[in-house]
Amino acid sequence: MKNIMGIIYTADRENQLKELTAERAVAAVPICGRYRLIDFPLSAMVDSGIRNVGVITQKNYNSLMDHLGSGREWDLHGKRAGLMFLPPFTNNDNVGVYTGFLDALHANLHYLRRSKERYVVSTDTHMLFAARFDAMVDAHEASGADITLMYTRDPGARRNGYGRYIQVEEDGRVSDLESDPTIPHLPYTYLEAFCIRRELLIQVVDETVSKGYHHLTRDVLMDAIRKQTLKVCGYENPGRAWPMDSVQSYFNCSMELLDQETRKDIFPADRPVLTKLRDEMPTRHASGAQVKNSLIADGCIIEGTVENSILFRGVHVGKGAVVRNCIIMQDGEVMNGAELQYCIMDKQATVSENGRLLATQNYPVVVAKNYTV
Amino acid sequence: MLRKKRCVAMLLAGGQGSRLGILTRHMAKPAVPFGGKYRIIDFPLSNCANSGIDVVGVLTQYRPLELNAYIASGAPWDLDVVNGGVFVLPPYQTGATGEWYKGTANAIYQNLSFIEQYNPDYVLILSGDHIYKMDYAAMVACHESHGADATIAVRQVPWEETHRFGIMNTDENDNITEFEEKPKHAKSNNASMGVYVFTWDKLRKYLTEDEKDPNSSNDFGKNIIPKMLNDGQKMVAYSFNDYWKDVGTIESLWEANMDLLADQPEIDLHDKKFRIYARNLGMIPQFVADKAEVDNCLITEGCEVYGTVRHSILSSGVIVAEGAQVIDSVIMPGAKIEKGAIVRRAMVAENAVISANAIVGEEGDGLIAVVGQDAVVPEGGKVAAGEQFGEE
Repeated sequence: MKNIMGIIYTADRENQLKELTAERAVAAVPICGRYRLIDFPLSAMVDSGIRNVGVITQKNYNSLMDHLGSGREWDLHGKRAGLMFLPPFTNNDNVGVYTGFLDALHANLHYLRRSKERYVVSTDTHMLFAARFDAMVDAHEASGADITLMYTRDPGARRNGYGRYIQVEEDGRVSDLESDPTIPHLPYTYLEAFCIRRELLIQVVDETVSKGYHHLTRDVLMDAIRKQTLKVCGYENPGRAWPMDSVQSYFNCSMELLDQETRKDIFPADRPVLTKLRDEMPTRHASGAQVKNSLIADGCIIEGTVENSILFRGVHVGKGAVVRNCIIMQDGEVMNGAELQYCIMDKQATVSENGRLLATQNYPVVVAKNYTV
Repeated sequence: MLRKKRCVAMLLAGGQGSRLGILTRHMAKPAVPFGGKYRIIDFPLSNCANSGIDVVGVLTQYRPLELNAYIASGAPWDLDVVNGGVFVLPPYQTGATGEWYKGTANAIYQNLSFIEQYNPDYVLILSGDHIYKMDYAAMVACHESHGADATIAVRQVPWEETHRFGIMNTDENDNITEFEEKPKHAKSNNASMGVYVFTWDKLRKYLTEDEKDPNSSNDFGKNIIPKMLNDGQKMVAYSFNDYWKDVGTIESLWEANMDLLADQPEIDLHDKKFRIYARNLGMIPQFVADKAEVDNCLITEGCEVYGTVRHSILSSGVIVAEGAQVIDSVIMPGAKIEKGAIVRRAMVAENAVISANAIVGEEGDGLIAVVGQDAVVPEGGKVAAGEQFGEE
């Protein structure tokens, strides 16, 4: 068993996904029919032998708490370790609002101190990828690095004005890092997952917070890389990565997941992605229903036409309704005769009988949670 | 010391269930998959959960591995509680003796000490081979309000089928006056469902007496119920006329599955107020491909459909390849239907493979073809209607 603990930071970049994150953290954004973004790093941690995972939250963590519960679905509900929910709290040092990840780590130093594992693997949640955390820690041990950053060469993970990019030398050392550049110059995308010795992390957080820093990447890492005060190495994660930097990115990623080969990339056969369970019955394809090239979760009733779409659990598509190139989240209701194209319907949204909502591929429309069109 | 319970349920999970043939070759009947996402035992266990009963003993003595692994902590049915839970109770050795369960009554008798721990007012006896949704709490309340010693759930069956059932004749107040086991000329069509509520003291007394009788076959229907009636105990019939189906045979198991595909199924599994819970594998949502044709089906997580599926049920992780056809069939978890294979009026058990261009079953209204667990029907092979293919 690996001697690693996990930290998942969910407090960053909450405004990018507009209505989808109006009432939830990015980590809790539903994806691929039955998952939330946090399921991917969390399952990857469990797969990497991590049994102690702290989830740092900031605002809007209600849906995240509801989703993670006791951590049972990830086998993190045991006595010896498990899932630790770390919501903000107010005391002399901590006013409950984190300016950056460094603040959040500082507020939770007690948890880091109390844990026993040798290494900390930390990850953000606003990118979708299948992380190999165990391999990153192996690389970290082999290179003797102080900090190892996980990165991808996937060109699809680059965005103008968004994200962190790094330069990695032949010896594996990271020689430069840029944050949210207007146009990325450095060749690889930093996946905002890293590995560090737990005691070193505590030391770094203590020292840098006292200097008035707030951000781990922008203040601490960038400084350490440029001044070479710490040995920072890179670990290349195989496979693709999707930044969730906009509604369009979310939509495009979802549509790409309809492709079976692409899907295999984030659902490796030997590493199941775990999620909260709901006891839905199998999906009913009624007589006369037409379903093509779609991912469909359990508990749906399909009486109409569904093409190139993703239906979450408990969705109803009525008779004569046509759903094309759409994402319909949990318990969505598309009534008889309605027609939808390039829409993202958030949970429990409804499109009334014969209603029409036809958007375009480069401007998918979001119907907010509980709304009726 | 465990806290006293109002009602404890004892589920007779039975023996081999040999009428299910090859499907129960590797597992007890209650562990047989049903309806795409369930196993038969999910119905009584979920009924218990929905009725507020949180102590369930499951009595079995045939191939318990699958059932044990499936029930495990009981968490899917909210039965992983501190003061109670679900317990698989096999026969066991004691210092002096030890024997197999000789009959339904003996199975409960051997576990009197299990029930004793909870000192319940009532004991609910269930069986593990029926598909139905029933609020046992209402039945217990009826038992209590009648001040009955035993309450037997009954349903009206067609008169021409009364000779297959235990028939309860009642007076105008639902008191059972006479019990006839599989009568040739029935006086009523109220058939026992094999669901009983007993007042605990009475049950303990009759089971203990029955055990001492060397001529008894230690069976509820044959011995306990007639004896209590003879002794003038207060026996009440509790009418239940919602969907209820015995799935003890290949044909009836297939029919019960097909019942779920009706326009308005008589048993509503979508009902959020009375859910049927199951151990959920948490697989990726089903993928229905561009060339797939799906009509009137129940399909669940983990399935990939590239071929044609009509009037059928696909359980988790089933793959139907391009050009394959599945019609009027039940495909159990993890089975693969390869290219060009045709499956009609059939049940294909867990992880079986129907290789390319094989033909299983026949159109029409003949017998159901069955392919056993892990069996591989070879390329171009044929399994006839009524045939059971696989390791005996």
